[in-house]
Amino acid sequence: MEVLQHLMDGFGVALSPTNLLIAAFGCFIGTVVGLLPGLGPINGVAILMPLAFAMKLPAETSLILLAAVYIGCEYGGRISSILLNVPGDAGAIMTAIDGYPMARKGLGGVALSISAWSSFVGSVVATLGIVLFAPLLASWALSFGPAEYFALMCFAFACIAGLMGDAPVKAGLAALIGLSLSCIGLDSNSGVYRFTGGDVHLSDGIQFVVVVIGVFSISELLLMLQAHHSNSGMVTQTGRMLFNLKEMAQTWWGTLRSSVVGFVVGVLPGAGATIASAMTYSMEKRLTDKEGTFGKGDIRGVAAPEAANNSAATGSFVPMLTLGVPGSGTTAVMVGALSLYNITPGPALFTQQPDLVWGLIASLFLANVILLVLNIPLVGVFTKVLSVPNWLLVPGIVAVSSVGVYAVHATTFDLVLMTVLGVVAYLLRKQGVPMAPLILGFVLGDMMEQNLRRALSISNGEVGILVGSPIAIGLWTAAALMLVVPLVLRLLSRRAAPAVQTQNRAA
Amino acid sequence: MSDRLLGAVCVVASAAMAWAAQDYAAAISYEPVGPRAFPLLLAGGLGLSGLWLVLRPSVGAETFRGVPWKATALCAAAVLAYALLFQWLGFTLATALMAVPVGMAFGGSWKQALGGGAALGVAFYLLFDKVLDVVLPAGPLASLLGGN
Repeated sequence: MEVLQHLMDGFGVALSPTNLLIAAFGCFIGTVVGLLPGLGPINGVAILMPLAFAMKLPAETSLILLAAVYIGCEYGGRISSILLNVPGDAGAIMTAIDGYPMARKGLGGVALSISAWSSFVGSVVATLGIVLFAPLLASWALSFGPAEYFALMCFAFACIAGLMGDAPVKAGLAALIGLSLSCIGLDSNSGVYRFTGGDVHLSDGIQFVVVVIGVFSISELLLMLQAHHSNSGMVTQTGRMLFNLKEMAQTWWGTLRSSVVGFVVGVLPGAGATIASAMTYSMEKRLTDKEGTFGKGDIRGVAAPEAANNSAATGSFVPMLTLGVPGSGTTAVMVGALSLYNITPGPALFTQQPDLVWGLIASLFLANVILLVLNIPLVGVFTKVLSVPNWLLVPGIVAVSSVGVYAVHATTFDLVLMTVLGVVAYLLRKQGVPMAPLILGFVLGDMMEQNLRRALSISNGEVGILVGSPIAIGLWTAAALMLVVPLVLRLLSRRAAPAVQTQNRAA
Repeated sequence: MSDRLLGAVCVVASAAMAWAAQDYAAAISYEPVGPRAFPLLLAGGLGLSGLWLVLRPSVGAETFRGVPWKATALCAAAVLAYALLFQWLGFTLATALMAVPVGMAFGGSWKQALGGGAALGVAFYLLFDKVLDVVLPAGPLASLLGGN
């Protein structure tokens, strides 16, 4: 089997001492970033991305680092959910509902270990999903022309607008701002400088790192000022540290179900760990909660959303690797990271950079083993991190973020631009404008314009080419459905029970 | 109210964008779509979404209530000053200085914040510049920190 051969080669890449060490380091950092309330995967990946580049790590090693951080965050988020009742990242909101009551009952250790286990199952199921489906999707996508790509990117934006939060207009606005920012600088086709205001620093466009750090690090810590949390509610008596076989059997099917659902949700652009965990929690509640114990410390309510958020995070690699169109803010940052190495993700990646793709996939398997080891016996180490005071943590984040920005071009201009973008992003976020579509727009902007122009060049300016193939028509239809269906569902369910409030901040 | 303001800002921004983009044209054109079309398309979209927010703002959006304005402005100003001083003062000194207002905004005393900042400055300088090979400005402390 060809796939198995590739996977073996991938393990060869992933098991090299450097990559293994980097993966372990990423897992550790990811877990720490995940468990810190206020910081999620996108912040961790954004802050580490320029550093990896500045340290001159090879492309596959950087990607392995970022992927390990991403998955590690999904493990780490649950720790503060369970012990503090404060979700460490957006994907872990649902875990707090049953996790914290469990901890209050003296079952904190069981909640932590079963959630680490179900995170592991979720990630492994989703990684198997990648191995099975990604090569198929990639070979299908090889037939895409520029018109199909343009439609595909519009579909990705429609997904994000339709699935994220209650304000599709604001999500669309964010995407447009991101796309507009990407126009700044030299237009390579015509040699025209756009929106530079004559400034030489902008002639090359705004550095991706500057946007990402401004939007996800500087604005984040301004937001953290308002969301001061105290550790007063922290449960320190965790009791038995490992779940028993009965508890494992009790959660097994729910974990598997949630893993599969999470993967499917993760593959869809726009939906992510937050939506997946909310969906599976209510699914499990409907399916198995006969005694009404969900919400009062039911172990099944801890396992299901944790499996789902991890498998969704892993699943979101599929559109990024196969289509080159990231489906979430975090994978958008990774695409930007690859662009620092002049690598454009897309279907050709599987044939042109097999080491990168399969090395990453193999690393996902290894990272999950490392994370399981880190998160069951060593969970005590991580809970200590929660006692690092914010007055030390936040200046540290500012310093590391600035190092990352400075490392790329070593100019004061970039640092100032980072601050300005951070303040603007803060104001936008305060008004409910989500940042994931903005970053997606910034990453996709150039590709979107190029594909549009190429498509219209092929057709000699005839706009009809954009809807000229069955695939393009299908994508446009899907995009329209993505915008309309959630709207209709929302109108229909308005009288039913109020929808679960999901927090889109970190998504 | 804030939705209306946001919308109005977007409309103004889109108008400025369209105005700036109107005379982007390729000197020699090989393709039917030049450098002007895409920005104009985006400006149009931005203007329309802005108008939407002006005309149909979401109700009861009290998004700015309870914002600690003073601390937020102080932090933003501290980060801006940090950005400006980063290269000139060097990483270590600038970090120690930045940590004072930012650390205090997050509940530390000035002694804690300054001590923490100085420690961060030295530790990160050694870690990044010496160990990880990410070059940082040393500033006036260059000789103390082992030069460049």
